[in-house]
Amino acid sequence: MDYAWDFSAIVQYRGLLLVGLLNTFKLAAVCLVLGLAFGLPVGLMRYARSPWLNWPATAFVEVFRNTPVLVQIMWFFFAFPIISPFDINAFTAAALGLTLNTVAFSSEIYRAGIQSIAKGQWEAGKALGMTGKQQLTRVILPQALRRMIPAFMNRAIELVKMTSLASVIAYGELMHQAKTISTIAFNPIEMYTVVALIFFALIAPPALAVQRYEKSLERRG
Amino acid sequence: MTEMLRLEGLVKRFDDLEVLKGIDLTVQKGETIVLLGASGSGKSTLLRCVNFMEVPSGGRVHLMGEPVGRDGRGAAISYSERDLVPIRARVGMVFQHFNLFPHMTVLQNVMEGPRTVLGLPRSECEARARKYLDKVGLGWKADAWPSHLSGGQQQRVAIARALAMEPEIMLFDEATSALDPELVGEVLDTIKELADEGMTLLIVTHELGFAYTVADRVLFLSAGRILEEGRPEEVLLAPREEQTQSFLRGHGRFRLPETPAQEQA
Ligand SMILES: Nc1ncnc2c1ncn2[C@@H]1O[C@H](COP(=O)(O)OP(=O)(O)OP(=O)(O)O)[C@@H](O)[C@H]1O
Ligand SMILES: [Mg+2]
Repeated sequence: MDYAWDFSAIVQYRGLLLVGLLNTFKLAAVCLVLGLAFGLPVGLMRYARSPWLNWPATAFVEVFRNTPVLVQIMWFFFAFPIISPFDINAFTAAALGLTLNTVAFSSEIYRAGIQSIAKGQWEAGKALGMTGKQQLTRVILPQALRRMIPAFMNRAIELVKMTSLASVIAYGELMHQAKTISTIAFNPIEMYTVVALIFFALIAPPALAVQRYEKSLERRG
Repeated sequence: MTEMLRLEGLVKRFDDLEVLKGIDLTVQKGETIVLLGASGSGKSTLLRCVNFMEVPSGGRVHLMGEPVGRDGRGAAISYSERDLVPIRARVGMVFQHFNLFPHMTVLQNVMEGPRTVLGLPRSECEARARKYLDKVGLGWKADAWPSHLSGGQQQRVAIARALAMEPEIMLFDEATSALDPELVGEVLDTIKELADEGMTLLIVTHELGFAYTVADRVLFLSAGRILEEGRPEEVLLAPREEQTQSFLRGHGRFRLPETPAQEQA
C-alpha cells in the first residue's frame, strides 16, 4: 500500500476534536459519579430480604445488563420523549442510558464486594450495639471498597469506551466530532486512526494500573 | 443480690426447628455461669438470645431487672430494632473467631464502640481503649494491625473491645476453640480475671478444667433444654444425668486442678 497519510486537516480542526474530548470526559464523569452513587442503594436493595426491595432492584439490574447499551441510548433519545412529558437532548439521553447501565453493573460490584466480607464482621458491629447503617458504613464498606476498586476502575474504563456510542444520536463527543471532521476533510483513515490512538492513550494507562493493583491485592491476600 | 439476667421459658425456633425449648435461668450480678453441651444443643443460640443477636420466638428475657420487648397482642412480644440496639450495647460478646475489624488498628478497634455507639469524645474513647488494652496486657500493641497479632492476642483485643463498652454482662462463645493449644491459657487467664473482679459472665466453653475453676454454676444443655445444673463440683464430678456423664467421658483430656473434691475421693 502506498497510501499517502495526511494529518494536516486534523491539525486544522483540532479545536473540534478538543471539544469532542471534553464532551467525552463530561459524559463519562457524570455517568460514573451518578452510576456509582446510585449503584450502592440498588446493590443494597438486591441484598435485602424483603421482596419489595429486592424484586424491583433485580428487575432493573437484569434489564440493563441484558440489553445492548446502544439500544438503551437510542431508546432514551427516540422512545422516551414520546412516552414521557420530557423533552430530551442528546446529552441527557446518552447520560441516562449510560448512567443507568453503570448503576446496574456497579450495583453488582457493590453487592459482590459486600458479600465478600465475612458475616462475623457484621456480627461484631451488631454485638457492639451498632445500628445496621453503622455496621455498613463503619465496618463493611471500608473493607469492601478496597476490594471493589479494580472492578470500579474497569467499569470506568468501559464507560469511557461506551461514550463513543453517543455519536449515533449526534452528541458531540470525540467520535461524533471525528465523524464531522472526516466528512468535511475526506480523511476517514487518518481521522479514525487518530481517534483510536486518543482512546488508547486515555485508557491504557489506567487499565495497566488496575492490573498492577489487582496483582498487589493478590499478593497481600 | 442484684439480678442481672432472667430467662423465663425462652424458646427459639428457626423455621420448623425448635432449638431452645423453654430455658429458665436467673443470673445474679457477679456470677459466672458456664454452659456445656454437645454440638447443636443450642449453647450459641442461647447466648445470642441474651444479647438479641437473635430475637426469641417465645418466653421472656429480663436484663438488669427490666423485661425486654413490648407486650403485643395476645402472648406475642414485639421487639423493635430501635429498642434492641441499646440493649446490645450493654451486653458484651466475644466470638470464637475474634472478628476484629481488620481495617482498624488495635487501638481503633477498641475505640470503635465508645466512639460510634456511645458517641463519646475522641479523647475519652482513646483513654478508655488504652485502659482496657492495658487490662488485657496489650497496651504495647495499640498501634499494631490485628493481622500482625497471634490468635491469643487477637482474642484479648476482642475482649478489650467488648469491655470498652463497659457492659453489665459479658458473653463468651467458645472464645478459645479457634486457638492453638499454647495460646488458650492467656485468654482463659484474662477471662478468669474478669470473673474474679465481679463481672457477670456467661461462658460457653469446652475447657472443663477452666469451667471447674471459674464457674459459680455449670449448666448442661441438651437438645434445647437445661438437663442438669449445679455447682461445678456437682455437675462436673458427680453428674446425675446419663447424658452429662457420657458428655464428660467424651472430654477425656479433662484434668482437674488439685481440688478438695479429688482429695476426698
Ligand atoms: N441461624 C440459624 N438458622 C437455622 N438454624 C440454626 C441457626 N443457628 C443455629 N441453628 C441450628 O440450631 C441448632 C443449635 O445451634 P447452636 O449453634 O446454638 O448449637 P451449639 O450448642 O452452639 O453447637 P456448637 O457446639 O456446634 O457451637 C443447630 O441445629 C443449628 O443448626
Ligand atoms: Mg456454638
